[in-house]
Formats: sequence, C-alpha cells, structure tokens
Amino acid sequence: MGVTCVCQVPVAEGKSVQQTVDILHKKLEQLGAVKHGSFCVDCETYHATGNVSGQPSKLLYVMHNSETPLSCLALFEGGPCLIADANFDVLMVKLKSHFQNAKSHKVECRGSRYRYCDFLIKVGTVTMSSSARGISVEVEYCPCVVPGDCWNLMKEFMQSFLGPSVPELPSVFAAKPEGLFAAADCVDTMTQYLELFNKLRKQQIAGSNVR
Amino acid sequence: MCRHHQAPATTEQGDKMADVVNVGVNLDAFSHAINGIQALRSSVSRVFEFLKDGMKNRETLEGREKQFIAEFQDNLQAVNRDLNELERLSGLVGRPSESHPLHNSGLLSLDPVQDKTPLYSQLLQAYKWSNKLQYHAGLASSLLNQQSLKRSANQMGASAKRRPKVQPSTLVLPPQYVDDVISRIGRMFPDLTIELFRPNGTSAVLLVTLGKVLKAIVVMRSLFIDRTVVRGYNENIYNEDGKLDIWTKSQYQVFQKVTDHATTALLHYQLPQMPDVVVRSFMTWLRSYIKLFQSPCQRCGHYLQDGLPPTWRDFRTLEAFHDTCRM
Repeated sequence: MGVTCVCQVPVAEGKSVQQTVDILHKKLEQLGAVKHGSFCVDCETYHATGNVSGQPSKLLYVMHNSETPLSCLALFEGGPCLIADANFDVLMVKLKSHFQNAKSHKVECRGSRYRYCDFLIKVGTVTMSSSARGISVEVEYCPCVVPGDCWNLMKEFMQSFLGPSVPELPSVFAAKPEGLFAAADCVDTMTQYLELFNKLRKQQIAGSNVR
Repeated sequence: MCRHHQAPATTEQGDKMADVVNVGVNLDAFSHAINGIQALRSSVSRVFEFLKDGMKNRETLEGREKQFIAEFQDNLQAVNRDLNELERLSGLVGRPSESHPLHNSGLLSLDPVQDKTPLYSQLLQAYKWSNKLQYHAGLASSLLNQQSLKRSANQMGASAKRRPKVQPSTLVLPPQYVDDVISRIGRMFPDLTIELFRPNGTSAVLLVTLGKVLKAIVVMRSLFIDRTVVRGYNENIYNEDGKLDIWTKSQYQVFQKVTDHATTALLHYQLPQMPDVVVRSFMTWLRSYIKLFQSPCQRCGHYLQDGLPPTWRDFRTLEAFHDTCRM
C-alpha cells in the first residue's frame, strides 16, 4: 500500500465523459503504461435512526474497494472509521432497525487500471443511479509510504499526463496529528474517494450541469 | 600427390610445401580457394560501400531509386557467385590426412573400424580444443588480473614458504568483535537502525532499517559484506518459516535498482586490512537514501526518469542522480 492521491478531472470542452476517459487512456498509453485489469470503488449511505429528534442524523458510509476485495470500510465523515471483512454488509442488513440504507445515494466508480513502473493509475467514471457524474483519477506510488516524501515526485508524474489540472496535496494527509510524515494507508484512500463522491453529489443537488 | 596443370611458379612452391604438409591436400585448389575468399571479401565490402554512398543523382526520384535497386541487386549477385565458387573450391581442397600419427597416440589409429570408433580423429580434435581453451584462458586471466577484485587479505599464490606467516587474520574474527563493531556503527546514525541475526552459523545477517524508506538485508562474512538485498519499507522481509528472507528481490522497480547500486557499492568500498572502515563507509553511503523520494536529480533537475526517482548516489559526494544521468 503506497501513497495515493484521488482527484477529479473536469470533462473536456465539447466532449462527453466517455470521450474524456478515452483521451486519458491514450495519454497514459503514450507514456508507456500498461493496462492491468479494472477496478471498482463503491459507497453506500446509511442513516442512523433512533437519534434524539432535532439532531441531524449521522450518516454512515460503507465503502468497498476492489484493491482490497476481502475488506470493507465503514466510516463517519470526519469521524472514526472501521475496517472489517466482507461479511460486514450482512451485519448491516441485520442492523436494519438502527441504520437505514439510502438506496438512491449509492455511488460507484468503475474504470480501468494502468501500471507504469511503480505507479498504479486508475481512471474511473463516477456514476450515481446509473448517470455519469464525473471522472476520477487515482494515482498510487506503491514503494513509498510517507506522503510528505514523495508528493513532488507524484506531482511531476501527474503533470505528465493530466496537464494543467494537477491537484494539491490531499487535505487528509495534512489533517493527521503527525502531519505529512505519518504513514499512509487504505483509510486515507477511501476518505479521499468519499470526499470526491460527496463533492459530486453536492454538485448535482446545486443544480449545476455536470455532463 | 595429386596435381593439376598449372603455372610453373605454383609448381615450385607446391613442391616445397608438399614436403612439409600432408599428402591428401590439393594445394592448387587450396590457393584457388584463398583467392576465392579474397574475391568474396572484396565483393561484400563493395556492397557495403555502395550502400554507404547512397543514391546517385538522377533526374527523377523514381529514376534514382530504380538505379539504386538495380546496382544493389548486381552487387548482391556478385556476392552470391563468389560464395558459390568458394563452396565449390572448398569441396575440392580435401581434408588433411591423418595417416601421420603422433608417436604413441598413433597406435589408436591402427584400429581398422574407422567409422564406428573414430578415436584418433576425436583425440586430435579434443587436443586442438584444449589448446585453444588454454590460450584463451591465459588471455582472459591476464586481462582480469589488471583489475584487482580481491576484497579479503588472503595472499593466494604467494610463495609456499611465506604462506604460513601471512595469516588471513581479518577473515577469522570472533563473533563478539563483529557484534561490537556493528552496534557501534548502528549508534552512529539516528535514522539508521541495524539488527544483527545469525540464522546460519557464524555469518552475520544484518537487517538495516532506514527511516520509513527502505529495509536492507546485508549478509556478512566475518566483517566483510558479502551481498545485499534492498526492499521497500512496506514489503515482507520474512519467508513462510518466519526466518529472514535473504533471497527474494523487491517487487518494486526502484528498489531493484537500489539493490543493484548497493551491490556496486560494496564492490567499490574495499580495504582488505580495515574491514570496519569499509562497513562504516557503506552504511554512510546507504544512509544517503533517506531522501530517495525527495531529492531531484542533480543533473537534469527532474524527479522522475522513466518512472524512477534518482537512484544512484555518487560514492564520494553522495549526490543523487538518475541511473541514466550519472556522470
């Protein structure tokens, strides 16, 4: 597990989501990356019921990542998180009385996985109720575990195929108590995905046009 | 002796040579074959010269190309002809007869069943082969001796009288001494921790952890470093038995490169009489990798080259370079 950075790529002018994804694939292949299968990250939302009235119910997010197929991550936004094995989904079904599944809020991100030297690049389309909302790109530099060390290196790599839309250092690393020099792990990756999904969901609610 | 009609000059030469050379060789065909080789060589070099000169100037591009192709074909056909001629001549030359046996080994050639047990001809071939091998081995050893690759203080090949006095003292060191030296070096650097194991006998195996960047496994032979394997911080260092895995390479290309560089380093830092200085220099060099992912290359200024960060550390100045940028 290395250092990951998840960012959103804006859809190119005058092109559809699929076309922009194809442009990214071509740029990666020109660089010399090799396709290595596909990936899927999804997130389900649960409302906590039985709360004291007047307080907004907390949202529990249960996420899966095809990179760790036997695990399942449950987290509250900005709060504690839990890494469990795949049977956790069944447990959630049993806890129906306490946590209600908001089925319409399920978000999925699917796409292909590329490998370039020690980098893993995943280009995916974020869909919510089968409508494409945006494009996500995840870049993972596998050998390094400290984000502060390799951020410049990753930025240089992302510039080579993303061009101008290179993101800043993800806030999830800066927000840790030890700062940038704590080891990164899969929780950081999923937190970044969650932030991206929530951002894309809010974009739709605000009524802005996302093709 | 078989002879064909030929010019007088060759006859005389043929006579003289016949006294020395075996009877079965057709000398005239031999000289014709040598001429044939020369003709073949000149036609082949003509082909390459023609290619080097390129197309000659003509009016149209098509005209130039056609003429080039036509001349090229002519040259190649000349080569073909010469080669066929040479093959024909070499068929006529014949083999040197083996009916001049060499002293006692010639008794082997008296066996009448020549086809089933060609002992004598095989013997001759084996002898020629071993002569050539000895010659080449002598050349190779003189070339290799120019570059001294010995890392220990053993004096091999010294005169037998002196050998008992020159004891290889640096090879037989008490394990306690080795432990002390290693722990002293380990305390020198704050971000480098060294753990010592002895899984197989008295040879020490060191597990060097450098910050959160890498883990290196260094196999020692008394105080001399034998080999090293560098792996990532998050990679597994134990095999299924729970022992230290000293053989598997890293799964990351950057650490495979660093392993190669580390092997070069342990061949570079050599001082047969003071092995502890060698270990100290090697650890100082290895410690420069604490900034493996942070430093840009000193030559090109970039972080990445072919997907790899600067993995080479100069042996004197410890500056970071890409493997392809190093000077």
